[in-house]
Amino acid sequence: MLDVSKLEKRWLKYKIKKILPYGLLLTAIVTLGILIPSYLFDNPVTVSPASQKKERMQAKPALAIATVNNEEAMILEPSMNFIESMTPASIPTAEATANPPVISNKSRLIPNVIPAISPIVQEPKIQPPVMPKVQPVVKGKSTSITRDDAAFDIHELEERFKNNSNPNLGLYIARYHYDHGNYTESYNYALKTNAISSTMEESWLIFAKSLVKLGKEDQAKKTLQLYISNSNSQSAKNYLDTLNKEPSR
Amino acid sequence: MEPSLFSKPRDLFIDIVNPKDYVQIDSVSHMYQSLKTSVQKPLKMILLYGRPGTGKSMLLHKLHHDLSKHQKVCMIDIPIIDENDFLRVLAHKIYSYASRESLSLTNFLELSTAVNYPVTPIVLLDEAQLYSPSLMEKIRLISDARALKFVITLHKTDNEDIIAKEHFQTRIWESIELENASYEELKIYIQKKLLKANCFDVANMINDKNIKLITKLTRGNYRESNKLMFALFSLYTWYEEHYPSKIKYNALNTKWIEMAAIHTGLIRA
Repeated sequence: MLDVSKLEKRWLKYKIKKILPYGLLLTAIVTLGILIPSYLFDNPVTVSPASQKKERMQAKPALAIATVNNEEAMILEPSMNFIESMTPASIPTAEATANPPVISNKSRLIPNVIPAISPIVQEPKIQPPVMPKVQPVVKGKSTSITRDDAAFDIHELEERFKNNSNPNLGLYIARYHYDHGNYTESYNYALKTNAISSTMEESWLIFAKSLVKLGKEDQAKKTLQLYISNSNSQSAKNYLDTLNKEPSR
Repeated sequence: MEPSLFSKPRDLFIDIVNPKDYVQIDSVSHMYQSLKTSVQKPLKMILLYGRPGTGKSMLLHKLHHDLSKHQKVCMIDIPIIDENDFLRVLAHKIYSYASRESLSLTNFLELSTAVNYPVTPIVLLDEAQLYSPSLMEKIRLISDARALKFVITLHKTDNEDIIAKEHFQTRIWESIELENASYEELKIYIQKKLLKANCFDVANMINDKNIKLITKLTRGNYRESNKLMFALFSLYTWYEEHYPSKIKYNALNTKWIEMAAIHTGLIRA
């Protein structure tokens, strides 16, 4: 005779035993299903809308940083080359290296700057041939375009110099104004440049020349003597001799 | 009291070997025909083997039932272990020779020569693995003398392949292996058994899913299937009596099939 109630209990026991592994497996899968997304939520990699928003917010600064880094990578090297090519003897100051954007922008001016260096080095003649207004004949339209650009850029450069006090930039502006006959301006910028970096020979010469043009020849001579005593500059000596021999040069 | 719908199907599956309950299934029918053909051949011994519950005994009884109408057939379904008794029983059943004294093999062969049958009598031995080697040797001698034909059934087990035994290897002239039923065969077996007994309502309750589960539980073994079905319909009878509302007549209850399997030991719970 069948003991049905006992058989039902045995069946229940069997069923539980049979389902238990699947139940455990399902529980494990569900647990993993909960844990893995929560783990992913904790990390930057996520799929949910909230985390996507967060990701977007995080992505923007990251992108900006990346851009800056790229700029630095692009800017630093050419700017240093520029400084070296421009003034091999001069040592760039900390301020100069600390402001890469300015240096980078100056790199765009290389075509204008480089021709200007060589005539100034040959100081005794003092014939800056490059600057647009000094050149008597404009042979082509391309030249006039260069000149206009330079005129346009000088105000921008002055603004930049106010902000970064780069001595190379100061020297450039001083030279520009001197070439354009703005002796007061060239005096001022040369003075500022000397205050920033006292080792820039050309800046001292422009300063002295500007003083001469402004009618302060004695002060120019004193300045040159002072500079020569400190630097033993041959260019400064030559110019001082010239002043002594031919005043008002 | 109203008769139970499930008591009749339950009794159909009581595990007894009755040739009248033989259910014709294609594969088994094919085996049976080949067995009958083999018996007609001048073979001395025919081996019918397979795992327990594959229908060897049923086939042997069916053969006995069919052949006994036309020729002398002796069925020994319970092994006679004692050699003297074995010969004495054979002499009595086949040659109607009753003797209280023990009968030697020589005497038996003389008797078979004396009683000359037009067709060689057939002896059907069930569970032949229980016979001793010396008795099997005597059986071989009797068959070699063409006094009798033997059809024997053997259990095939995992541990011991009896057919590989030397004394069977040298003597068996034809062997037929019986196997467990497939899903389709078991379905036909159960359905036919129920329909044969006019249990149409219950036969309609059994669907493919039920048969698949039964085949899975019994691995197609006829004896195990009979036991399971008997237990299952016993449960149905009980529920019909106590909780008739729990019975659904569109399909067999899977839970109850599993409960029957637990009861019969097919499921360990």
